[in-house]
Amino acid sequence: MGCATARAVTLDGLRGHVIDVQADVGDGMVATTLVGRPDSSINEARDRCRSAVMNSDYTWPNTKRVTVLLSPADLPKRGPHFDLAIAAAVLAAAGDVLKPEHLHGVVLVGELTLDGRVRAVPGVLPMILAARGHGLTLALVPDSQVDEAAMVDGITVVGVRSLAQVVARLSGKEVPDAEPVAPLSTARVLTWRGDSRTDDLDLADVHGMLDARYALEVAAAGGHHLMLSGPKGAGKTTLAERIPGILPDLGVEEALELSAVHSLSGDLRPGQGLDRRPPFRAPHHSATKASMLGGGTGQVHPGEITRALHGVLFLDEFPLFNSDIIDALRQPLESGEVTIARGGEVATFPARTMMVLACNPCPCGDYHPDARQDRCVCVESRRRQYRSRMSAPVIDRIDIVRNVVPMRPHERRDPLSRPEPTSVVHERVVAARRRQAERYADTPWRINADVPGPTLSQRWPLEDAGAEMLDDHLCRNAISHRGATRVHRLAWTIADLRAMDRPGEHEVGLALLLRTGEPLPLASLEAVGR
Amino acid sequence: MSEGTRQAVALEERLARVALNALAEPGDPRLARLAAALGAVEVHDRLLHDVDLAGLRSETAARLADLHPERILEVAARQDIRFLVPGDPEWPVQVADLDHVEPLNRLAGTPLGLWVKGPADLAQVCARSVAVVGSRSATTYGARVAGDLAAHAVGEGVTVVSGAAFGIDQAAHRGALGGGGSTVAVLACGVDRAYPTAHRSLLEHIAGHGAVVSELRPGCSPTRVRFLSRNRIIAALTRGTVVVEAAVRSGALNTASWAQRLNRVLMGVPGPVTSAPSEGVHELVRSGAALLVTRGEHVLEAVSPAGSQLVETPREPERERDRLPLEDTRVLEAVPLFTPAPVASLARTSGTSVRQSREALTRLAASGWVVQEGLGWRRAPGSLEPGMRDPGGSGA
Repeated sequence: MGCATARAVTLDGLRGHVIDVQADVGDGMVATTLVGRPDSSINEARDRCRSAVMNSDYTWPNTKRVTVLLSPADLPKRGPHFDLAIAAAVLAAAGDVLKPEHLHGVVLVGELTLDGRVRAVPGVLPMILAARGHGLTLALVPDSQVDEAAMVDGITVVGVRSLAQVVARLSGKEVPDAEPVAPLSTARVLTWRGDSRTDDLDLADVHGMLDARYALEVAAAGGHHLMLSGPKGAGKTTLAERIPGILPDLGVEEALELSAVHSLSGDLRPGQGLDRRPPFRAPHHSATKASMLGGGTGQVHPGEITRALHGVLFLDEFPLFNSDIIDALRQPLESGEVTIARGGEVATFPARTMMVLACNPCPCGDYHPDARQDRCVCVESRRRQYRSRMSAPVIDRIDIVRNVVPMRPHERRDPLSRPEPTSVVHERVVAARRRQAERYADTPWRINADVPGPTLSQRWPLEDAGAEMLDDHLCRNAISHRGATRVHRLAWTIADLRAMDRPGEHEVGLALLLRTGEPLPLASLEAVGR
Repeated sequence: MSEGTRQAVALEERLARVALNALAEPGDPRLARLAAALGAVEVHDRLLHDVDLAGLRSETAARLADLHPERILEVAARQDIRFLVPGDPEWPVQVADLDHVEPLNRLAGTPLGLWVKGPADLAQVCARSVAVVGSRSATTYGARVAGDLAAHAVGEGVTVVSGAAFGIDQAAHRGALGGGGSTVAVLACGVDRAYPTAHRSLLEHIAGHGAVVSELRPGCSPTRVRFLSRNRIIAALTRGTVVVEAAVRSGALNTASWAQRLNRVLMGVPGPVTSAPSEGVHELVRSGAALLVTRGEHVLEAVSPAGSQLVETPREPERERDRLPLEDTRVLEAVPLFTPAPVASLARTSGTSVRQSREALTRLAASGWVVQEGLGWRRAPGSLEPGMRDPGGSGA
């Protein structure tokens, strides 16, 4: 009889907090109580654990008073994955098959069934990341999720299939056999296209569209947000889908962070390993706010914007998205984070992603600036209404605006057109990203889009002529302060692509054109390959 | 070129022109005048014999003796380059107009001959042709418009002539090639040279499918003055010149001046009014020198024989409702959409007499615009579409 502490992890968004699960078995009125802000699913753990322990042929202290405390108490805790920790703490406190010292440095994650088997739970990866950060050295996770947890270095990961295996592992006995754990059944959030759809798309197939190609390259190199506007069939999707191909592979930390997101939404396939390719998410415009930004019932689930972490979030037909969603995009567009506040709890998810918005010039999508090809039937009032849906504050947060004009037949048949393949553009983007990584080596940022405005102007200012040009635009009210910061970042990316040490007048000029949607000088695109 | 073409002009004349062409800088008005007045052979002989002609000093002429025109022709022929002179069937006769214009930058005159590389028959392809020129520092907008105009022009059998420079020039050539038509590049250096070097493959392609032309003999390199005299050839070869994007100091404006002097149609493509690369074009249009064109049809109309290739002025399609007499329209507008109104009230609202209103309503009812309900009138259910489109073929 006594007291024992096991460790579990609770998640708030993607951040994990190690929770002490303390069990006390002693005299008093016979009862089992759970204290420390458990939610209903943890309260049910009491019954699951009791049955699991008894059905595993261990003794539940039925004649004692059992108190389980989850601390710190100020963190909300939810989810069935505390079962293992609770059962282990109670068994250790009872002292028959486990001793309190068996639990030192161990984190336990998993749900229990009544017959003592372990079930898979979502979010194992971020939990183990948190456990490692807390200095724990051994992690027991559901057997089917070992691969996922093993992505984290510096902590020993052991898969378990039943409570009996847990006890055997911890007490150093021979591990009994048990039925394998079924992988997590996942309800995937709506996906518009297959994830691998973008794999074999190449920029070599895009003739003409020089400034759109350049816009793609700059956006990818610095992680800037991009808006493509043009009549339907102009090639907006064609362009957007080719962005993942020119993005560099994710770094280990980034990939881990992304996998943590997938872990949380439960769609990390077992045995998949660490996916280093940047994600491309293209939710349909009928998506709900919860699926876009995060939310849902029970545990707060990451939304599409978080699932596109370090990759591309492509919003086709942007004005048709719910206006709530459009306005809610402001925060992630600006800060790279999305915060979901609900009742007493606040979850923050990372949302560092390149947003690519596509829109038509009018609701029917047939409006064409060239009168001969204009088949638009929208009345002016509807057109205006459609445009007004793209709220000005959101547009102000877009770095690059491009009008996409359909490829002309003569452009496709141009015998001298040699559009650069994705691989060549990819290399330039990688080189530009490398320059950024070196520049920001001693900072928390990786790419130009991450750097806050004030820091940027203090530590990485523009050349005088460039700064004057930007000031001039500010004075004439031709650009907002936020816009100026974004132009500053863009100018750095342009300089990085050109392997220059500091952006000057030329780069600022080009950045301004990119931002305002005006045509670019051909001479600056020489390198883009035509 | 076939032997037949060669024989149209005496060998002696051709060789004399080769020699004079090699001797003088292009666009020297004195030489052009003399050759026209005396014949190339005579000029050649006199200069060779130290006669000072119109200030062509004898020391310059002394170099004539060292020239071997046969050799020059032979070397050129080995590179598939031919030398056209007036009188050749392939000679574009329209360049003779250069003899009748005031010199510009002291340059003028019909060229003594033209060096040509490429399968196209120069006279034939330039008979219906248009020059598309513009800034080397063009924008993607200008390049796209130039390409579109060129593709449209060649689609109607009009050859596109330009200078193979960066920016608009190359876009025009490539638009023409992409459109599957013929295009001619006029250079300020020998046709065997690739200038600019980056356009080597473009020039090779044009030499393989159209024609690369120069007044300068093979081997010559480009100079500032040679660009200016080249521009006069571009303007003279074509029936009109389109300027797409030219800043205030662009060389394309020089071509525009030549086109004006030669009484060729001068056209300008507008850009955004704030765009520096379009400023020169806007000035041409503003001063009335150039015709504003925005698409291929406009260009074709301007360079085609009068009355052909006319462009229809774009207008909104006529709607049923536009055809109603004024009085009926007035009454129709007074008729409520849903709640019927009596004739007297409609007459008051529309400012017509009751009799006029009644007549109008009868006509409108017959053509399906209004219906009578009880004692009042309202719009017929089918006569209103979303977006205020009026019924098509509603029995009118």
